[in-house]
Amino acid sequence: MLDRPLAPPPVEVIVAVTQALHREARLLDNEDFEGWLAMLGKDVSYRLELKSRRFRADRSPPLPFGPGVIFNEDLGRLKMRVDRLKSGFVWAEDPPNYIRRAVSNVEVLATQPDNEVRVHSVLVMHRNRIDGTTRLLTAGRTDLWRSEGGAWLLTAREIVLDHSVLPDSNLNAFF
Amino acid sequence: MNDSIADLVDSRTGRQSRSIYASEDIYRQELERIFGRCWLFLVHTSQIPKPGDYFRTFMGEDDVIVIRQKDGSIKAFLNSCTHRGNRICRADRGNARAFTCNYHGWSFSPDGALSGVPLENEAYFGELDRTKFGLIPVTKVAEYKGLVFGCWDANSPSLDDYLGDAKFFLDVWLDAMPGGSALLGETQKMVLGTNWKLPVENVCGDGYHLGWAHAGAMAAVQSMDLTGLSVGNSGVDLDGGLSVAGMNGHMVLSALDGVSGYAFYPDPKPILEYLEANRQTVIDRLGEVRGRQVWGAQVNITIFPNLQLLPGLNWFRVYHPKGPGQIEQWTWAMAENDMPEAVKAQILENQCLTFGLAGLFDNDDGDNLTACTEQSRGWRTAQMDVYTNMAVGRSGKREGFPGDIAAGLVSEHNQRYFYRRWQEHMMAETWAEVPTYNINSLTEQEAEHA
Ligand code: FES
Ligand SMILES: [Fe+2]
Repeated sequence: MLDRPLAPPPVEVIVAVTQALHREARLLDNEDFEGWLAMLGKDVSYRLELKSRRFRADRSPPLPFGPGVIFNEDLGRLKMRVDRLKSGFVWAEDPPNYIRRAVSNVEVLATQPDNEVRVHSVLVMHRNRIDGTTRLLTAGRTDLWRSEGGAWLLTAREIVLDHSVLPDSNLNAFF
Repeated sequence: MNDSIADLVDSRTGRQSRSIYASEDIYRQELERIFGRCWLFLVHTSQIPKPGDYFRTFMGEDDVIVIRQKDGSIKAFLNSCTHRGNRICRADRGNARAFTCNYHGWSFSPDGALSGVPLENEAYFGELDRTKFGLIPVTKVAEYKGLVFGCWDANSPSLDDYLGDAKFFLDVWLDAMPGGSALLGETQKMVLGTNWKLPVENVCGDGYHLGWAHAGAMAAVQSMDLTGLSVGNSGVDLDGGLSVAGMNGHMVLSALDGVSGYAFYPDPKPILEYLEANRQTVIDRLGEVRGRQVWGAQVNITIFPNLQLLPGLNWFRVYHPKGPGQIEQWTWAMAENDMPEAVKAQILENQCLTFGLAGLFDNDDGDNLTACTEQSRGWRTAQMDVYTNMAVGRSGKREGFPGDIAAGLVSEHNQRYFYRRWQEHMMAETWAEVPTYNINSLTEQEAEHA
């Protein structure tokens, strides 16, 4: 569609969106789920697809109903997950686990419409649960962020998880 | 060893030594006498539809590759090169005309034959008898209505006899509708620090934990008002279903309302419509009891030792042991081929939401099972017992169903039969010493009525 690459976004936009990614990670680390939900667009799509390890030359057709998902959430479903976590009945989260997210490799790219940007980033999630049980999860993310009323809102996130076998006994956590 | 195995489990009173979840010696014996002897689930035929399609899985700790042949049959082999033992396939699944080993380049065709050896004439002087170096086949491979199983023991009963009266319940998924069944989606794989028996006993009989362990998920997603599955373990309808055991070590939990499998779907309407539109067909095929009461209800089926499928909730799972204290849990979504496309897509979606890797329910169980395993490893805890002694002796015959049956989903009746089967296998030197039983078999019941 586009016959020439878009100019890079202004540096203020790059700074603001990068700050939003860091803020998002801090809110989630602190279990400020309401604060996090407020950073999401009403039309947010939050997805993490399953995959399989295949030979490069493999020509098998796609599975009839797709690979399935780990997350395929809209705002309502994210709220439902937050409701569960806040229900007081999720025993695996009480006492709270130590969880820390590091965001890096941030690239903010111009896109259309021009109040949106496409953002690549890497998330490293460190979870320490139950004595010394520690897990390190890494994921790549491709987001769309939209400027709305002076704030940047997350409107789409495609997550790619770097583990063919999930190395933890739950994923009570957002990427 | 047999003396000690006899002491480790008392399935009459419901007692197990915690050492069965921790001991390395017991685990090695399980690999031999349970995983080396029983029929183990390999693949659903829908996962390898075309010639050359393959799927990689495990039998115990043995890496196995299951391949659809040119003639449509299915063969399975150890995923290990016959030269120096290397793994020949590192992909999860796919389609291949040959498997070439990464180490020295030996090549195997889908029927297991050694089809290519680099420098065969120059280095082996043409003296290598290729027919002696084909891939090592799984001793027996057999199918029951789409489910493909493998077995290492040439003296095992047939798959049909092994499954016994559990087929009465398996058919509620596999044969309810004329189009049969399929598994959907990629494999959902998770490592859990649990002994393999604990998730099996959890799903085979433990209705007790539902209301408490999953209270958070129930509060968030339950879309039907079912008194049988209330939050907080209070007000549970203790006669809302059946705990069925005594079928060669296979167990079933079944609600009897024909709909409760879909109670955890945020929008169960399309599926309920499918159920009602086809209810009569299923009644015609399977009879009143299964067609009206079981099809669509929450049903947990356990095929000994490590396969569990829950038509209704629609998840299908195997547990691969990785030492006494670790497993890989593999899950897929299950569908009936006659379901409309939209219903199948919804099932895959909802299975991932509820019992997937970030499953609202599934994520409650892992830590409990892991901790039960860890609390068996101490010097003192390994000497202790744990108990499945709820409702001992309160079981019997129930009109229209096979098995030794306890009323309700909250009972530890099925777990006792699971550990009984475990003990029978562990004490037996050979298959000939393993008892076969299908208590209250329907064929016997019919004979009595005649
Ligand atoms: S180990 Fe496979 S070719 Fe040598
Ligand atoms: Fe559970």
